[in-house]
Amino acid sequence: MTFDVAKRIPLITLVGPPNSGKTTLFNYLSGKNFKTVNYPGSTVEYYTCKMQDKFNIEANLLDSPGIISLNPNSPDEEVTVNSLYNHPEYGTPDLIIVTADASQLSRHLLLTKQLLTAGFKVILVLTMKDLLEKKGLTVNIEKLSRILRCDVVFVNGRTGSGLNDLIIKAEKNIKELSHEKSFIPYFIPEQLSKENLLSLYSEIENLTRAVIEPIEPPDIEKINKKIKVLNPVLQEPTLQPDLFTLKLDRFLLHKKYGLIFFFLIMTTMFTSIFWIAAPFMNLVDDLFSLLASSSSELLGNTWYSHLLSEGLISGIGSVLVFLPQIIILFLILGLLEDTGYLARGAMMIDKPLSKIGLNGKSFVPMLSGFACAIPAMLAARTISNRRERLLTIFIIPLMSCSARLPVYALLVAFLTPSDKPWLGGVLLASIYLFGIGSSVIVASIINKFSHKLIKANDNSSFILELPAYRVPKLKIVLKNSYVNALHYIKRAGPIILFLSLIIWFLTYMPNHTPQIDTTGLSHDEIIHAEKSERLATSYAAHLGKFIQPVMTPLGMDWRIGVSLIAAFAAREVFVSSLALIFRVTDDENIQSSLLTAMQNATNQHTGEPLFTTATVIGLIVFFIFALQCISTIAVSRKETGSWRIPVLQLIIFTSTAYLFTLIVVNGLRLVGVN
Amino acid sequence: MKTAAELKHGEKARISDINSDNPSYKRLIEIGFTPGQEIELVNTSVFNDPMAFSIRGTLIAIRRNEADCIILS
Repeated sequence: MTFDVAKRIPLITLVGPPNSGKTTLFNYLSGKNFKTVNYPGSTVEYYTCKMQDKFNIEANLLDSPGIISLNPNSPDEEVTVNSLYNHPEYGTPDLIIVTADASQLSRHLLLTKQLLTAGFKVILVLTMKDLLEKKGLTVNIEKLSRILRCDVVFVNGRTGSGLNDLIIKAEKNIKELSHEKSFIPYFIPEQLSKENLLSLYSEIENLTRAVIEPIEPPDIEKINKKIKVLNPVLQEPTLQPDLFTLKLDRFLLHKKYGLIFFFLIMTTMFTSIFWIAAPFMNLVDDLFSLLASSSSELLGNTWYSHLLSEGLISGIGSVLVFLPQIIILFLILGLLEDTGYLARGAMMIDKPLSKIGLNGKSFVPMLSGFACAIPAMLAARTISNRRERLLTIFIIPLMSCSARLPVYALLVAFLTPSDKPWLGGVLLASIYLFGIGSSVIVASIINKFSHKLIKANDNSSFILELPAYRVPKLKIVLKNSYVNALHYIKRAGPIILFLSLIIWFLTYMPNHTPQIDTTGLSHDEIIHAEKSERLATSYAAHLGKFIQPVMTPLGMDWRIGVSLIAAFAAREVFVSSLALIFRVTDDENIQSSLLTAMQNATNQHTGEPLFTTATVIGLIVFFIFALQCISTIAVSRKETGSWRIPVLQLIIFTSTAYLFTLIVVNGLRLVGVN
Repeated sequence: MKTAAELKHGEKARISDINSDNPSYKRLIEIGFTPGQEIELVNTSVFNDPMAFSIRGTLIAIRRNEADCIILS
């Protein structure tokens, strides 16, 4: 493949080992409007953007997942390595900016050396110079640059100093490009034998010994003394890990306290999702109820007024209401990751998870599953063992994702007596624990039969760097949470909007202006009678007759059935669909008026109350198990490479959900709970 | 022949070889476990597996069976 570089925008790819400051550098270089792109044919996500305007370089910038070597060890790394050689959309990078931690020079130079051997044009960015300086050492970058024959710069991740230097070097490199023909990088993974690797490492060790130097003390008289002190350090310049990290690990990775801290951190995380989010959720809820009531007042008792207030505003509002929880969940996950704790969590939980066929590296995907199954399945790509990866993906839908929160919030509120608000928290916590417990059981069952269900078996391994603890970079964590939340709205928003409209249509048509006997009825009563008449003769009611036989054994009627079907597009639609079916448009907040409507609803089939303790608990059980999200199925298909796993997930989880709901509802009734 | 899996807490030793029988041996080398390097067992997880070693100025957690292919001198 050849192309004239001068005719198109050059591509700069950022590459680096994990924890080398690559993401920080990307944040400095990228403008505000970066976007995520998928590597074609897979779902490995990249960030791509133009270089910030102020740098005055016309170039595309591509960020890639961290790799430690060009010899890939997981699907994630494989895609990254392949994309370096020839990205289907962008081609081969014209310039690679590779990051390396100056205090980890010997380990991080491996990748740089491999990239240079492969023939790429490389600029090496050394980060965390301050960590090295604390030990009285620095890197002679002129010397390193001469030996490696590539440009080397220092960039400080905290202050951004050194960026200008990097830009100048990048500009120079790009200018040189236009005179050269494109190249085909030399593919090296195959020839990386043990001997190759070891000789590469000893070459790097000699190199680091040559370039790591003591910081020159200003006082010449003390030099001789200093050299004596520094000499033993110079032999093995960077052998001591961060002391603070070692001290903290004595507690956080302690055999007994470690587990206590682990559960404490997880509990704090989940409780804060509910407590911190509550006031924001009320705010969003109030805002949308106000919008709905004022728009229906403004437009009167007309079909378009109903469409706007009941179809659009209530539908969107009942879903946006839990956006605060999603943002907080992403925020806490980001903070935990940035402090370096998540890797420790993975280490602590590796042994128990490996017993049920998973891996310590399943921990982060499973944790992300509490936010959303989709990023969680993508996160499973860091698991190198295919079987463990597939099993992780398999059970992720059992993690209680945030889309289920509004459903649980509503159902739990229904079950919670107003004088015992604490019961709600306990109930929610038990739902989460029940979900986790079930996923453990499902994983161990599937692990037993896994050779039939999941046809893959290779080496199980757990090799993970425990990064030094550090104060999280709030700005970056905030930015990432914002991007994730935005991403989420963009993906879920249109589906929810579309379905809200469909459900409104199904429950409103064809009898949009019902003829009723209005004699002796007040204005409000007329509206109410019109509503019930319209619904009873609607398409949804017709559709419901087909579902009724399935719903009757559960003690529910077609209205819940329709909502459950709608929830297959996205679980949170269940709430907006109930709100639509029960025509909730009161001026007070949507949730409490929906609760009142639920309390008054009777089963149209039997005449008994529709929402009882038994049926509501049954619904909760249904939502714990059922795989009700089209996007999850699509991502599962993409990530596992076939329809086998998503179809199995759909069948197993949904039939389990129905069966358990049946058992729970009827079991509860048997023991007298109604 | 002593391996890294047999180290005690806080015990230091030098690597003499990496056993290439273990399928993960290349990754162990790539991440920095090379002959001649000094390692120290810093932490073990609650179930004594995985184990965290200090090597080349950082901490790396590996499973006990992986530590078993790191031969010490």
